[in-house]
Amino acid sequence: MKGPEPRYSAWALLRARLAGAGYWRPLWSGRRLQEAYDVVVVGAGGHGLATAYHLARDHGIRRVAVLEKRLVGYGSVGRNTTIVRSNYLLPENHYFYEDSLRRWERLSHDLNYNVMYSPRGIVDLALSDGEMVGLARRGNAMRLAGIDAELLDRRGVLRFAPELATSSPRRFDIVGGLLQRRGGTVRHDAVAWGYARAAAALGVDIIEDCEVTGVRTEGSVATGVETKRGYVKADRIVFAVAGHTGAIGEMLGVHLPIETHLLQAMITEPVKPLIGSVLVYVYPHGECYVMQSDRGGVLMGGFMDGFPSYTQEGQWFRLEDVVQSAVALLPQIGSLRILRQWAGVQDMTMDGSFIIDRIGYDNVFLNGGWCYGGFKTIPASGAACATLVATGTAPDLIRAHGLTRFATGHLLDESGGGPFPVRL
Amino acid sequence: MTRLTCPFCGPRDLEEFLFHKTLAEPGASAYAQVYERANRPEDSLEHWQHVHGCRAWLLIRRNPSTGQVLKLELLGGGGA
Repeated sequence: MKGPEPRYSAWALLRARLAGAGYWRPLWSGRRLQEAYDVVVVGAGGHGLATAYHLARDHGIRRVAVLEKRLVGYGSVGRNTTIVRSNYLLPENHYFYEDSLRRWERLSHDLNYNVMYSPRGIVDLALSDGEMVGLARRGNAMRLAGIDAELLDRRGVLRFAPELATSSPRRFDIVGGLLQRRGGTVRHDAVAWGYARAAAALGVDIIEDCEVTGVRTEGSVATGVETKRGYVKADRIVFAVAGHTGAIGEMLGVHLPIETHLLQAMITEPVKPLIGSVLVYVYPHGECYVMQSDRGGVLMGGFMDGFPSYTQEGQWFRLEDVVQSAVALLPQIGSLRILRQWAGVQDMTMDGSFIIDRIGYDNVFLNGGWCYGGFKTIPASGAACATLVATGTAPDLIRAHGLTRFATGHLLDESGGGPFPVRL
Repeated sequence: MTRLTCPFCGPRDLEEFLFHKTLAEPGASAYAQVYERANRPEDSLEHWQHVHGCRAWLLIRRNPSTGQVLKLELLGGGGA
């Protein structure tokens, strides 16, 4: 059979059943690398694929290639903890993240691919009155922007998350929490596959095993990229290479306000449903979040390891710290065994907010610096970045997220930590 | 990379040390020294502090792709 992959529907399932083997085909593979493109996107992760998808869908640019060093979804889009939320303090951030959350809500429909958006709710916990004040400040900022946020007292937290009730008294009891009900999780691999399939259906060439090794330039413009498979001409180039953005900057001769750090996560053996939402506690020297995957494993994550690394190997002390905090929150998970632990590399910017802007040359764009919040922004990032690339003008949602903000002093320092990615 | 060798205290667990920052290029402007970082995946020059030990400031040259420490010395010279 030839032609594009059919849309998924009950009708398609029926036809596939009648047609027998061979009805379904590979979703995005088999494209050949062309000599020239309107836009070359480097990196087939969430942001790269979403950018390519929106370039083709919203702006009618069909000669788009996504070049990937390894495989679709092999990087951070497949290594994160799948949480989506928009509970940010600063307006420049929470409007953008809210745009993303609204897109998540309808993404399965838009992509014709089930990304398993699960609005199970996300609760930031406070174990002291001071922390409660901080949560109220953030919650009020969100509500002023029309984003759902509920400030809960102790009883409200225990009603929403009864698993937090303990039989023996806590040393530091729960004082309250900030709940975003529409926050939750999305199946991360499905996001990569869904965007890849939808982009390929619009004519985007997704080329795997095609590492970009350099950029050819003439004056202030780039003319194309050098790849493992030869030179590719490009009118515009987008780098969406989470974790390796700093190195791309060096390739373009730009020192970026970015360091690459590691973030770990770990998951236990599967158990029956125990944790119904995403529970987060940020404490003075770190943080811990706990949720349960659809397969039943208790998933935990925390703060970065604390120093630059590209190794994808987490440090033991951080794992220990996260697990101790998780067990303090939920003593009943103390007897579970950890099955897997992994770490992802991420671009940490000097104010904790992302960068979508031109970099180095007039027609080279950067979509990066996602810190530890890249996954949840994929739909909004793709749409906004595609608009910037197609029209040359940054849409309002990302106007504040340019590279020049560090020089002009308009930082988006969500945590108030100063020009350091780590503040322990 | 699980330990660093402090010039005063000898080999100590990594947990005792606090990474401060990756250094910008030598001779960089004040802006660059605050905000920019030289992102060399195989050769990174960094400030660390033995914060849960003798509190000495350290200048460390490291390979972030392998974790190998290439050079470690007391910041600002001097010696143990």
